[in-house]
Amino acid sequence: MQQISLKINGKFFHFLVDDHEMLSHVIREKAGLTGTKVGCRQGSCGACTVLLNNKAVLSCITPAVRCDKAEITTIEALAEHGKLHKLQEKFVQKGAVQCGFCTPGMVLTALSLVTTLSLKEGAASLIHQIKEGLSGNLCRCTGYTKVIEAVAEYALETCDPYFTKKAILANELKRAVGIPRPYLEAEKKVKGAAEYADDVISKNSLHCKFLRSVYPHALINAIDVQDALNLPGVHYVATGKELPVKFGVLPISQDETAMAVEKVRYIGEIVAAVAADTEEIAEAALRLIKISYHPLKAFLTIDESLNDAGENEKIHEYGKFNNNIHKKAELRFGDQQQGIRDAEVNTSMSFEFDGVNHGFTEPHAATASWDENGLTIITATQVPHYLHRALAKVMEIPLGRVRVIKPHLGGGFGGKSDPFPHEIIVAHLARKTGRPVRVCLSREEVFLTNHGRHPTKMTVSLGISRDGTMKVLDADMAIDGGAYGSFGVVTTYYNGVLLQAPYKLDNFGFRTYRVYTNKPQCGAMRGHGAVNSRFAVESLIDDLAIQIRMDPCELRMKNFLDSNTLTVGQYRITSNGSRESLEKVMEQSGWKARIGKMEKGKGLGVACGFFISGSALPIIWNELPQSVVHLKLDFDGRVLVTSGASDIGQGSDTMLAIIVSEVLGIGMDKIFVLAADTLLTPVDFGSYSSRVTFMAGNAAKDAAENLKKEILASVSKKHAVDSDELNLSDNRLFTHDKSLDLSWMEAVEILTAKRGAVCVSGKYISPKLGGDFKGAGAGLSPSYSFGACIAEVDVDMETGFVKVTNVWGAHDCGKALNPLAVEGQLEGSWHMGTGQAISEQMKYYKGLLFNNNFLEYKIPTTVDTPDIHANIIETIDPEGPFGAKEAGEGAIHPVIPAIANAVFNATGVRITRLPISAEEILEGIKKNK
Amino acid sequence: MISANTYIKPTSVSQAISLAAANPGNFSYLAGGTDLLVNKSQGNDHSAILIDLSEIAELKQVFANDVQLVIGAMVSLDELKTHPLITGHFPILCTAANSVASPTIRKTATLGGNLLCENRCSFYNQSEWWREAAGHCLKCNGSVCLATGGNKNCFSKFVSDTAIALISLHTSIEVVDVNGTTILPLESIYTGDGISPRQLAETAIITAICIPLNEGIRGVYKKLRKRETLDFTSLTTAVTLDKTGRIRIVLGGVHAKPVVVDGTKNNDPIALISQAISNTRIVDNDTYSRAYRKEMITVFLKRSLNEMQLF
Repeated sequence: MQQISLKINGKFFHFLVDDHEMLSHVIREKAGLTGTKVGCRQGSCGACTVLLNNKAVLSCITPAVRCDKAEITTIEALAEHGKLHKLQEKFVQKGAVQCGFCTPGMVLTALSLVTTLSLKEGAASLIHQIKEGLSGNLCRCTGYTKVIEAVAEYALETCDPYFTKKAILANELKRAVGIPRPYLEAEKKVKGAAEYADDVISKNSLHCKFLRSVYPHALINAIDVQDALNLPGVHYVATGKELPVKFGVLPISQDETAMAVEKVRYIGEIVAAVAADTEEIAEAALRLIKISYHPLKAFLTIDESLNDAGENEKIHEYGKFNNNIHKKAELRFGDQQQGIRDAEVNTSMSFEFDGVNHGFTEPHAATASWDENGLTIITATQVPHYLHRALAKVMEIPLGRVRVIKPHLGGGFGGKSDPFPHEIIVAHLARKTGRPVRVCLSREEVFLTNHGRHPTKMTVSLGISRDGTMKVLDADMAIDGGAYGSFGVVTTYYNGVLLQAPYKLDNFGFRTYRVYTNKPQCGAMRGHGAVNSRFAVESLIDDLAIQIRMDPCELRMKNFLDSNTLTVGQYRITSNGSRESLEKVMEQSGWKARIGKMEKGKGLGVACGFFISGSALPIIWNELPQSVVHLKLDFDGRVLVTSGASDIGQGSDTMLAIIVSEVLGIGMDKIFVLAADTLLTPVDFGSYSSRVTFMAGNAAKDAAENLKKEILASVSKKHAVDSDELNLSDNRLFTHDKSLDLSWMEAVEILTAKRGAVCVSGKYISPKLGGDFKGAGAGLSPSYSFGACIAEVDVDMETGFVKVTNVWGAHDCGKALNPLAVEGQLEGSWHMGTGQAISEQMKYYKGLLFNNNFLEYKIPTTVDTPDIHANIIETIDPEGPFGAKEAGEGAIHPVIPAIANAVFNATGVRITRLPISAEEILEGIKKNK
Repeated sequence: MISANTYIKPTSVSQAISLAAANPGNFSYLAGGTDLLVNKSQGNDHSAILIDLSEIAELKQVFANDVQLVIGAMVSLDELKTHPLITGHFPILCTAANSVASPTIRKTATLGGNLLCENRCSFYNQSEWWREAAGHCLKCNGSVCLATGGNKNCFSKFVSDTAIALISLHTSIEVVDVNGTTILPLESIYTGDGISPRQLAETAIITAICIPLNEGIRGVYKKLRKRETLDFTSLTTAVTLDKTGRIRIVLGGVHAKPVVVDGTKNNDPIALISQAISNTRIVDNDTYSRAYRKEMITVFLKRSLNEMQLF
């Protein structure tokens, strides 16, 4: 241990530190400056960047002792006297802040970069320099587009005082809906003041660490924890038997326990947990736990799990047959045999997809504690409501004794949408020790927790007539679910059912198997279920277009479903912007002039897609509305919005405020959102299936309209005017003829007189939809989003290296309530899709995940990300709030096949495996010669 | 605390060496630390004592005399591009340095440290828990190479990008240890043994990197990786030609040490490429397959020779 002195943000600190302690640990845990984020602990993500004597360093791999007597600048120092630094302002204004977890590191890296930028060589060079300079900072939300814009504009303004661009002062505008605006909490995030799960540090808390299985499939003979318990500083060691109650996000797949009971099902499964005074002690204790295993045969591939298993080899006991098939789903519509006879041109291909992971930058973290009110857990979750239920079930306590609080959240993308073992275990340890217990997973543990996209194998056939009309589609699929159920049953259906649009298909069928394997479990990830099967279909369309010598855009145009129609599986399509989307990207990319005229190695590709705007059915069958929002208006004129909806960086809190502001005609400054606290906020089912804008948004609109009625009624009574005569707009309440014209505060006084604060509620309940056959509920949604992408690639014909240079995308989100946020979602989707297309994959060695870190799991950086051109298409959905539909997931569908089709256009090599590999392209090029 | 971790920051080379000599088998020198500290956090380095060289001023100088350019070992990779002497004479070194890791890491990582960057392998650069689950490989005191199934050789990859460029420039290094100062050709310190890839006395410190001037060297550098930043190399190539017509081909990422092939303008370039390939020892321990990396050697070398109008 050494005594060091640091001048952090101008203040002198003296710390006693371990000689090998990292600076990030000292800054966060000892100086309490939690604006510095830790995303990977190994220098691969840039989130922990701070300035050391004005030089950017990665604090997670900088020894604290090295910094003795040095000056450290963290994100907290940038805003002076509370006023944002100009660069921070740019991040906020430009919408460069989404989940905000990478933001502090990104801002500080950019700040040290701008002093070195050369502006002489023009805009393209400036952008290139910025991309290069930020290439060590991973962002999973923004696709970097708005970050780069923010830095470029800051650089230009700083160097050229005459360069000014008026920022939109959103709060001064009369309307709320449709105005691009930063998130409500963007300032807090860019200042490093927003608290994430690992930043909310309870006093006196213990640290938790997990011992994980080193076998893919084995019986646990014995666990000896005595030596670990005897280690000074250890408070409790828990094992699976203490928490035998099974849980899972779906009622039909309650197949997981918090820790392995009697047997382990994947390498990385938690077997024991330690609560200790420090992380180091907890880790040392893990090494003292002795476990003896009896290894069983491991099932590691889809094919192995489809085959019959031997005696006692099944991964789970339940299941009708003697194999590891978890779920089979099959649906057939129309007459596929007739469709095959009608089709004049057929194509069939087999595809294989590796699993991919969400790659959110904030690792899972949680703190649990107990008091007179029962259990409180502060955790990084997308689904407080389902976690609430799972905790009550496993802890065996009434629902009324559980409180789940979601603080700011550093990205989810589906990866935080299950109840997780670590959340249940810290709750258990906190109960056993009587102390708050906290946990933050390492990046390796995050990857082992997984719940990412299923590895998939499929054979898909599509038949069309010579004029390009689609006649028949058939898909035969198998998905690798890993060791547990998660959302898998839904995924199984989505793989198939989400192929019945955006094209009109009268004869369509599919069969999907989901198998258990001895690997980390798969679940929901952005674009849930249909990303891989969409890839297959869009590849087949591309192939057929070539076969019948038709422009692939034209072929798609010919087959789009109309608005206000039903699909073959009885999905109710309301608004549909497929056509407008495709037209937009064709025009913007110069498709017609360029396609077929590009030199070898360069190519364009197109694809389309659609997605649900929230699942019409709840996961857990009950009669609660999908979402409830409460509003409270008190004497101070402020409206408190409470909602269970989880803002996971997608901007849902801001969306709720925009809707309430629009309905009541008041400024955003009069609205305060309190969300995702299961004690204080009414139930919303969670941030999954792209449901929040549609469902929580509609609930907020309903609540605001109810409040408006109350206000108008009280004023109408007081001033004896008809309610219909009254308007609320621009912070005023007035009659048509303005004979009565009250300020908002005057109206509020009338409303609250002799009554006090007024509370109203609003809700959203999906209409009854769909057919009455088994499986009809899968993929039902009150509305659907549509979209199209064109990608441009540059393939090195000698190395096979694919550079995606441009993505032009258009997405029909109904109505963009906040266009800045919608663009952010689209850009993020296209960036994430680019990753799955060209570089991301989960690779295993005998069931052990090879690339469990941000160095080897290859999320595209600034320099690997194409220029993204986002277009919002508005079709005003009849049921969405102000016409809005989803924007967070559907956009990822078309981008991946668009890239693959562009590779075909450039090289003549058809991509049937993801990620696209240079090896296979090269092989294909040689074959074609 | 549980471990008796120690960190010392000497201010001279001699002080550093005496500290090292007093703690045999239990220390690591720390340059930038961007490689070592990650290996340490994964349990691949257990030295309790870190001797940080970052405050030794004599290791941060850059100067030229009549015959050579001398770069102190603790000059950061990012600083290289700010020295006109380096950018002017040896752009290939700047290209190589700029291809290492990320811009932020390059501000901390040093040239000397990069030369001593630990060899890498998919089975080695993993957490302690992972390596236990996989079964320890030869490089982690196990008895079998998990990449090949063999039990004799470790095929961990040599991944220093700057070393490849520097060797192509016929660079020597100045090494100081308890016995004094030695000047060595850079390539001579690499053993080709994946387990112990470098042969330097335990207390040795690379103090300076000396690149010959006046040889009229020009060259081409290339690196294969999935992303155009951050990633360690899957194949690094450097090809140089000096004013006397000497050609040098150096490969990284395809053997436990750099592969060096010398020739002249008069040699058949295809023969030089074949020779380079036959000197590699590539196995499947990388994000790209063995076959692909091998194939890329030819592509990269032909392109490089082409750019230099030698092919």
